[in-house]
Amino acid sequence: MEFTFLFSQFMSGLTYGLMLFLVASGLSLIFGVMNILNFAHATFWLIGAYICFTFWSLMEAHQFALWVSIPLAALATAAFGWFCEIVLIKRIYKRELHEQLLITYAMALILGDLIKIIWGPTDRLIVRPSIIQKPLFLFGAPIDSYFIFVILMGFAVALGLWWFLKYTKYGHIVKAAVFSREMVGALGIPIPKIYTWVFTLGIFIAGLAGGVQSAIGSVTLGMDTNIIIQAFCVVVIGGFGSLMGTLVGSLIVGEVFSFAILFWPDGAMVLIFVITAAILIIKPWGLFGTPLRA
Amino acid sequence: MDKKNSFLKRFWLPALLFFIALILPLVVAEFWVHVFNEILILGLFAAAFNLIFGYMGQLSFGQAAYYGIGAYTTGLLMVKLQWPLFACLPVSMITAGIGALILGYFCVKLRGIYFAILTMAFGQLVFFILFQWYSFTGGDNGLQGINPPVWLFKANAYYYFSLAVVTIGMIALYFITESPFGYTLRAIRDNTERTEFIGINVQRYMLINFVISGMFCGLAGALWGPFNRSVAPDLSSWQNSGHPVFMAVMGGPHHFLGPMIGSVIFTFLNAFVTGFTEYWPLVSGVVMIIVVLLMPGGLFGIIKSKGYFSSRDVGDVKNE
Repeated sequence: MEFTFLFSQFMSGLTYGLMLFLVASGLSLIFGVMNILNFAHATFWLIGAYICFTFWSLMEAHQFALWVSIPLAALATAAFGWFCEIVLIKRIYKRELHEQLLITYAMALILGDLIKIIWGPTDRLIVRPSIIQKPLFLFGAPIDSYFIFVILMGFAVALGLWWFLKYTKYGHIVKAAVFSREMVGALGIPIPKIYTWVFTLGIFIAGLAGGVQSAIGSVTLGMDTNIIIQAFCVVVIGGFGSLMGTLVGSLIVGEVFSFAILFWPDGAMVLIFVITAAILIIKPWGLFGTPLRA
Repeated sequence: MDKKNSFLKRFWLPALLFFIALILPLVVAEFWVHVFNEILILGLFAAAFNLIFGYMGQLSFGQAAYYGIGAYTTGLLMVKLQWPLFACLPVSMITAGIGALILGYFCVKLRGIYFAILTMAFGQLVFFILFQWYSFTGGDNGLQGINPPVWLFKANAYYYFSLAVVTIGMIALYFITESPFGYTLRAIRDNTERTEFIGINVQRYMLINFVISGMFCGLAGALWGPFNRSVAPDLSSWQNSGHPVFMAVMGGPHHFLGPMIGSVIFTFLNAFVTGFTEYWPLVSGVVMIIVVLLMPGGLFGIIKSKGYFSSRDVGDVKNE
């Protein structure tokens, strides 16, 4: 196989992996801090994509429509996520695992249908601005120029999160809360408030990812169910609550998927689950996770 | 006298339910016979799931895998080899049991959220195998033309057949849960460490239970194919794994009949709601949230305090 072909496959794997990272990082953050596995996370992502489409169609005539719609979609999705947290998630902090899972599972079902009610069953397609309509040539390989944007966005969010966790006061609180919520609470930091904002931040990233996704291909109903399972795989591979792990896990899943589809198209997804299961068996807390609160 | 009383107290409800199930098809329209049939099959599925959840205290989010294996075993044997339905049911239990043995071997090493995620990952693994293996499973088209034998073709006939199989299955499950094995499971649920200290091989017990649960999930799946005349990969999707969880939680995981009651409510609601709206997921989601927020312990948890039921049922320690 030619190098250019493999390289373009690598780039599409990278794009896919970073899209997964955008979804999985919020999932991992929410789980790490709140100990809640958010089944509805990818549904928020899909809501972000639809909202982005709506904003875009309002400004369709302008070249800047997409670039304005993406942050607007992220903010709108975050506001909605904040609302869901206040109304629903707040009530299940202290509940048992199965109750938390059922609540977020129910949220995924409800939000999925709300999307259907609001936007209808037709696929939505954003017409890209002219600047990203032509492919870019890297090492002689044609690369979708929007992919470059997705990749940059993925790394920018990763860097931003890393900076937030490492250098800001709130980042330190979040990191401490992953380690021991009781201790953080004992120091007089209002845990429920932290939870609300962590959830909102996670949903903000999901909404941002949805906005970015909306210009990759058409936005369709049910896209979320596939992504959520893969995001779980990513988080399991990388380790819950670990930013680095989520990034590495996303890139592994993205690249494995992208190359497996060349050699064994039917088995690509199966392979990802085999890898996930193998990691869970060998290191239940993932490649970069710590065996806390198992 | 006392013994007789407690016997009555323990078995009046299943006896009553069985009696109702027996006469119902004679008084309702054919559509509802189908609904009752679905209730029975999904009830057995949920009861099998509850072996892991209510009795062993672990949450499996992938029991649909074994349900799907059972359904496809029967479907493939009937469509490709023209096996009789009777022979397919035990074979489906065995294949589902083997699947549960292989995958469960890894699952029982984990607990809590990791157990839930690994069972779910394996569930998706089975789903994608069924979904992608066109030459063998028919891929996303599934398998059609799984016809039950002629004498079971009518809705009522197949209903009574299901009733017989599910009743036998439920009785078998009851004996398992009331056996020393069943009480060991409760001990594992209530205090895993202490159970280990008194010399019980916890992992082995969990694995055996996982296999038993998988076998009965497979039996329920095997009944589904001929009932629906077809099978599809969706049977083993993670959404379908969520149904028994919800049924058990709604009916009450701490009572043997809880999952079956949950199935009655869930399936009825489904049949009723899908009659006039396509937004069944929305409705079921709202019901799920209400149930979890307002009735922890399920239906049986609410009425238990009134003393209609023997407190021996699942040996509930947690909720008291």
